[in-house]
Amino acid sequence: MFWSRLLGFSVLALLIAAPLGLPAFAMTLLTELVILGLFAMSLDLMVGYTRLVSFGHVAAYGLGAYASGYLLLNTSLPLPYAVLLAALLTGFIAIGVGWVCTLATGVSFSMLTLAFAQLLYAIAFKWTSVTGGSDGLAGIPRRAGPMGMTLLTTKAGFYYFALACLIGSYFLCRNLVNSPFGAVLRGIRENEPKTLALGYNTRLYKIAVVVIAYTLGGLAGALYSPFAGFANTELLFWLLSGQVLIMVIVGGSGTLIGPILGAAFFLTLEHQLSSYTEAWALFFGLVFIAFVLFAPHGIWGLARSWLGRRAAPAERALHG
Amino acid sequence: MAEALAQATPGATAASPSLIELEGLTKRYGALVAVDEVSMRVAQGEVRAVIGPNGAGKTTLFHVITGVVPPTSGRVRFAGEDITGLPAHAICQQGLSRTFQLTSLFPEMSARENTMLAAQARRERRWQPFGGAAIFARARSAGDAALEQLGLTHVANRQAGLLSHGDQRLLEVAMAMAQGPRVLLLDEPTQGLSVEETAQAVETLARFLDTARVTVMLVEHDMEVVFRLAHKITVLHRGAVIADGTPAAVKANARVQEAYLGGMT
Repeated sequence: MFWSRLLGFSVLALLIAAPLGLPAFAMTLLTELVILGLFAMSLDLMVGYTRLVSFGHVAAYGLGAYASGYLLLNTSLPLPYAVLLAALLTGFIAIGVGWVCTLATGVSFSMLTLAFAQLLYAIAFKWTSVTGGSDGLAGIPRRAGPMGMTLLTTKAGFYYFALACLIGSYFLCRNLVNSPFGAVLRGIRENEPKTLALGYNTRLYKIAVVVIAYTLGGLAGALYSPFAGFANTELLFWLLSGQVLIMVIVGGSGTLIGPILGAAFFLTLEHQLSSYTEAWALFFGLVFIAFVLFAPHGIWGLARSWLGRRAAPAERALHG
Repeated sequence: MAEALAQATPGATAASPSLIELEGLTKRYGALVAVDEVSMRVAQGEVRAVIGPNGAGKTTLFHVITGVVPPTSGRVRFAGEDITGLPAHAICQQGLSRTFQLTSLFPEMSARENTMLAAQARRERRWQPFGGAAIFARARSAGDAALEQLGLTHVANRQAGLLSHGDQRLLEVAMAMAQGPRVLLLDEPTQGLSVEETAQAVETLARFLDTARVTVMLVEHDMEVVFRLAHKITVLHRGAVIADGTPAAVKANARVQEAYLGGMT
């Protein structure tokens, strides 16, 4: 407990101090990490806490990215408003997605989420007047404001904005999974028919968790397009759905922190390996297999058991 | 025959209000009639066993009453209200809690967490996504009370999936009781237990039923269990009621002996 607290605070302090010491390219990487971490964490609500395995979580990311890109290009909304509005819009659309997908369970549920993502992918290609078709949306500005505030438009300022979104979302999710609502989600994860028989309308709970996960995934996407300056159909491509699912599993599903670490691991590995070989994804695949076989609780699971071993003698020393 | 037995039964007078009333309840699966025109009344506070050979339609009857499957025809009344065709979770909210023939609980949670989640289902504002310390506290006291009723206090913190099979069966009853139900539907509570475990579980259940003041419907095919626990017995054969009355009356019934007991007395 003490050690994990200490670790948490040190990591947080490092993340806050990062813009002071890191070179520009590292700040870009770190910002991307924060955004992807938020994306992976949002999926964990579905996969880790409710056992709703989505093969199409990219739908949330792409929706958020296109929505905030469109708002920033076509309205005079300041950056934070555009981003939050895009996230809420994603959540609103997720009501329909959740309603349809929860008609099915298990693999059929996963397939329906994939189908929705593919549908959006096709729409992004065809609805050229809004999405820019295969070119996507380019030149997305980080507009100043509200009230002429320019802080968020700088590289460091945008990083802090993304970090604040991640930390805020983390505490929101943590509160959620520890609430009575979260207890019901765990019930659905372990035994849905029993949860239903106990008198819970499990379908409504599942729709609710899809909406929350999409809203936060949409928030990540909405941060990505002003970060990168563009939004294109790659942000709706199924490959990214698979990658984010891998981040959740490698990081440790059902832990919230784990998927963020998974995203960091994924990005770092991609960054390091891709400078040596084109086939970096192959190595990542091997790492993924190794985790599933030998460390099913992921990076965070390994870290926790290590911290547990550290904590035990330390506590004995304190109380002994 | 069924009517004659019911009339001869003491205690089943018009004065005692019936909590559950089934009226011509029928469930067909294609050509198969799983439940055939079943009508019965269960009085408040009664422990009613539903028995019958395998495939007699006992579990299907439970499924129809609790809304797991909709009936083909007929009505289910609970405390005078028509609950036919309501979804399972809504029927449970009315105060009918059930257990399953095959053990069904949350294996990775502790026994206490199992009962807490069950108790929480009956609380207001279950959607509250933040805090909820008060909700948890209420659920915990209801859950702990139910664990005590079923003699499970000593395993409260143990993971449910690791409990002995007998304790798992009792935990399921505790979960149902944590909801403060008006009717408890138990689907073969001793299913899969060894002779010894069954004897223990039945003693615990008998002690619990003596004090609990809850109306019970019980599906069971272990005769000893039935005769130990039930006040009245309804016998199903091929989906239809062939007898209905006190344990002694049912035991003596010739049709029951022929259809089910096979001469056992």
